[in-house]
Amino acid sequence: MTTCDEIESDKSSARPSLIRLALFLVMQGVAVILVGFAALFLSFEPAWSAERLSAAFLKPGDARSGSLLLKTEEGYADASRLGIDVDLTISGPTVRARVTQIFRNPTKDWVEAVYVYPLPSGGAVDTLKMVIGDRVVVGDIKERQQAKAIYEQAKQNGQKAALTEQERPNIFTNSVANIGPGETVLVQIEYQEPVQQSGSEFSLRVPMVVAPRYNPAPVVQSVDFRPDGGGWGATKSDPVPDRNRISPEVQDPATNAPVNPTSITVRLQAGFPLGEVKSHHHTVKTEKPDASTSIIRLAEGPAPADRDFELTWKPAAEKAPSVGLFRERVGDSDYLLAFLTPPAVEQAVQKPLPREVIFVIDNSGSMGGTSIIQAKASLIYALGRLQPGDRFNVIRFDNTMNMLFPGAVPADREHVRRATDFVSALRAEGGTEMVPAMRAALTDSVGDANYVRQVVFLTDGAIGNEQQLFETINALRGRSRIFMVGIGSAPNTYLMTRAAELGRGTFTHIGSVEQVEDRMRGLFAKLENPAVTNLTAKFSDATADVTPAAIPDLYRDEPLVLAAKLDKLAGSVEIKGRIGDRPWVVTLPLANAAEGKGLSKLWARRKIADAEVARTTRQASSEDADKRILALALEHQLVTRLTSLVAVDKTPSRSQGEPLKLSELPINLPAGWDFTKVFGERPQLPATPTERRADADEARLQVAALKRAQPVVTPVPDSVKLPKTATDAELKMIGGVILLTVSLILLGFNRRRQMSLG
Amino acid sequence: MPRFILPLLLALAGLVLFGHGAYIHAKALVAQVLLERAFTKTIATGRETKPWSWADTWPVARIEIKRIHASAIVLSGSSGQALAFGPGHVEGTPDAGEAGVAVYSAHRDTHFAFLKHVVIGDEIDVTRSDGRKFRYRADATSVVHFDTSGIDPLAGGHQLVLSTCWPFDALTPGPERYLLHATMIGSLPVSR
Repeated sequence: MTTCDEIESDKSSARPSLIRLALFLVMQGVAVILVGFAALFLSFEPAWSAERLSAAFLKPGDARSGSLLLKTEEGYADASRLGIDVDLTISGPTVRARVTQIFRNPTKDWVEAVYVYPLPSGGAVDTLKMVIGDRVVVGDIKERQQAKAIYEQAKQNGQKAALTEQERPNIFTNSVANIGPGETVLVQIEYQEPVQQSGSEFSLRVPMVVAPRYNPAPVVQSVDFRPDGGGWGATKSDPVPDRNRISPEVQDPATNAPVNPTSITVRLQAGFPLGEVKSHHHTVKTEKPDASTSIIRLAEGPAPADRDFELTWKPAAEKAPSVGLFRERVGDSDYLLAFLTPPAVEQAVQKPLPREVIFVIDNSGSMGGTSIIQAKASLIYALGRLQPGDRFNVIRFDNTMNMLFPGAVPADREHVRRATDFVSALRAEGGTEMVPAMRAALTDSVGDANYVRQVVFLTDGAIGNEQQLFETINALRGRSRIFMVGIGSAPNTYLMTRAAELGRGTFTHIGSVEQVEDRMRGLFAKLENPAVTNLTAKFSDATADVTPAAIPDLYRDEPLVLAAKLDKLAGSVEIKGRIGDRPWVVTLPLANAAEGKGLSKLWARRKIADAEVARTTRQASSEDADKRILALALEHQLVTRLTSLVAVDKTPSRSQGEPLKLSELPINLPAGWDFTKVFGERPQLPATPTERRADADEARLQVAALKRAQPVVTPVPDSVKLPKTATDAELKMIGGVILLTVSLILLGFNRRRQMSLG
Repeated sequence: MPRFILPLLLALAGLVLFGHGAYIHAKALVAQVLLERAFTKTIATGRETKPWSWADTWPVARIEIKRIHASAIVLSGSSGQALAFGPGHVEGTPDAGEAGVAVYSAHRDTHFAFLKHVVIGDEIDVTRSDGRKFRYRADATSVVHFDTSGIDPLAGGHQLVLSTCWPFDALTPGPERYLLHATMIGSLPVSR
């Protein structure tokens, strides 16, 4: 009974305590919120301070040879590289190369692969094949912009697609879209190339690595005057506008194992009994099924792709064949390829003119290591070969430039000694500002016609502003002849050959210290002996489109290489010229030509190079040259500056992707397509493009999407996984309030107990 | 005295729990203020601006629904950490205004609490970090399981999906997600 009384008596004092309780709760709430706010700025998990991007990601365009960049969301993750397989078949005058690159996408995401690789500058790339899983995609030739658009479209559609673009005649880029997780990709390029001949030696070069290029900063504008001399010109801002596409990053060999294992197989069918077959930079095994055939493989299995593969072969006979004539019929045209080595005629009548030789040596940072040793050895050899009556000078350059003597000096003992000391002291460092050095070398201040002026230019050609250099040569060459000496394991052959062509000289390559003496001796034979000049080719019966249109002068041991498109294979071709002061004539009957392969492509490739040269030398306007290049490229299915190979897989990569194709086309879906009532099950969301708005707007947006710099994110999950979007805030707060209430009730209960006890 | 210990302990536990809950809301509230500031700066400078120095995410868009006066700054990525501060732009989906389906996701009890008030026909404005603004119209809703959303980010058209947990009033996290589908009806003049 007492309890009952107590409760009743307590009622009067209950009200104030309730107010106190409420106040207490409010205070608690305020405190909690304060604590909460304070905690916002204090208690963050340590993971938060972590850097957003890990160092493993590369920048776009950071690819070195054969490296596959996979575009993922965070940047470009380097994919594992399985290997490169090069299969070369040499049949007589031509090389057919099949380069297969095998890559794996080890990531869990769908990726786009961007792949940068080198090819020979004279190579005519005509085939792109891609095998993804069990799917073979074959490329078609298209105009570059169009190919790019096709590719981007396919990429957005979720279709597998491949694109081969030319960045330079010897640098190409492949893009491959929508490679699935764990899939293996095979990229196969095929190209056609003529065999090189020098004297009795035939050779073949396969570049393996895109050497890092020095790209001059656009600090100084160069001025482009119109050829008509009207005095009006335009300034050009960036000497290397596409620097991002061709400037790869170098992997430090000190911290990274070599990558890109490459296996090489060469089937050599020279067409004559073979003598010495030699690989200059790789050890090889050679099989000889018969006298004129060799099969060459790398002796130690796959080798890392860090140097060019160079193979030379000589005939078993003492003298190499001095004439080669090959034909191919494509469509209703005949194509002819002629090799002709003029005889070495000793100068009988008069003594050759003395020479003024300007040596230019590149001592930039890219020449470091063995390259500078080779360059110095070559130059010192050359200095030793100067005759007493000659004059010379030495120019060195990196991003700065020095001339040893203010002008050319007589090649007496004292001057040569000083030059040798100067060259021996050179060290490789700095950038590669090649244009000022070339300009200085071509400055012919004396202009003494009693001397033959020759420029010997030793470099690795590792620059990105090739075009600027070509324009300098074209503008300033005057009577000078330029002899390029390519140094190192991976010189820029495009720069070397084109510069030599524009400078009416030759290109000599030195790939190792052992080659210095041999190759420099060959070069001096060219420098010291009279050239074969005033060359012309005349077809007796056939109408011929001949390339090169104007046949360049030939130096000692160089063959004349002539490609022609003929309306009929009849009659003969007469080649005339002058060796020194003697006339020289040869007549080749066309009927004797042997069957060759891919000659039409070589002819087209050569014609395209002619058009590019005409563009550089301003003999043709850029529009005309471009038109010519485009027509040739499309007819002969070649990748050029203006055309790309693009392959789109018709099969969608994902089964769910099929509806995408329809949606991407400007087709309106039925109006009133309404999903509002579908609440819950929505089995095929991708197939539910809802109502449409104006077509024009749609089209504009799609064009914008195509033009966008950063295309749609590439990982393509089948369906988006939605993140967890519930917090336990409410649960915790309710729990907290319940606990607080319970504690208050208990407190109140205790107090009452106490009061009643007291 | 010992009889006070239990209620005091309970009170303390309650305080901590409530504090945690309040902290989540406080974080969400304060962060949006800082994010609004950072986003304004992003649009002005054109660079990604982190809302606070140690943040590992940055604002990428602003969602506005004028009719119900709702607005939120969207963050890059949809990790748990990002979602604590604002809606996240789900990885692997295109930006708003691009072809495909842009997906933004946020907590049902904080930033996307307003989704339950959005009705079909509402206009949703999305401002991107480059200052461009796109208008979408809500045209469907659905409820899906989180890993079978059926959203193909590369689907045709220009679509937007706002996603949050379902049901709205549940207290415990669940596998179901509420989706609001919207289709672009045009881009708005850039306001800088």
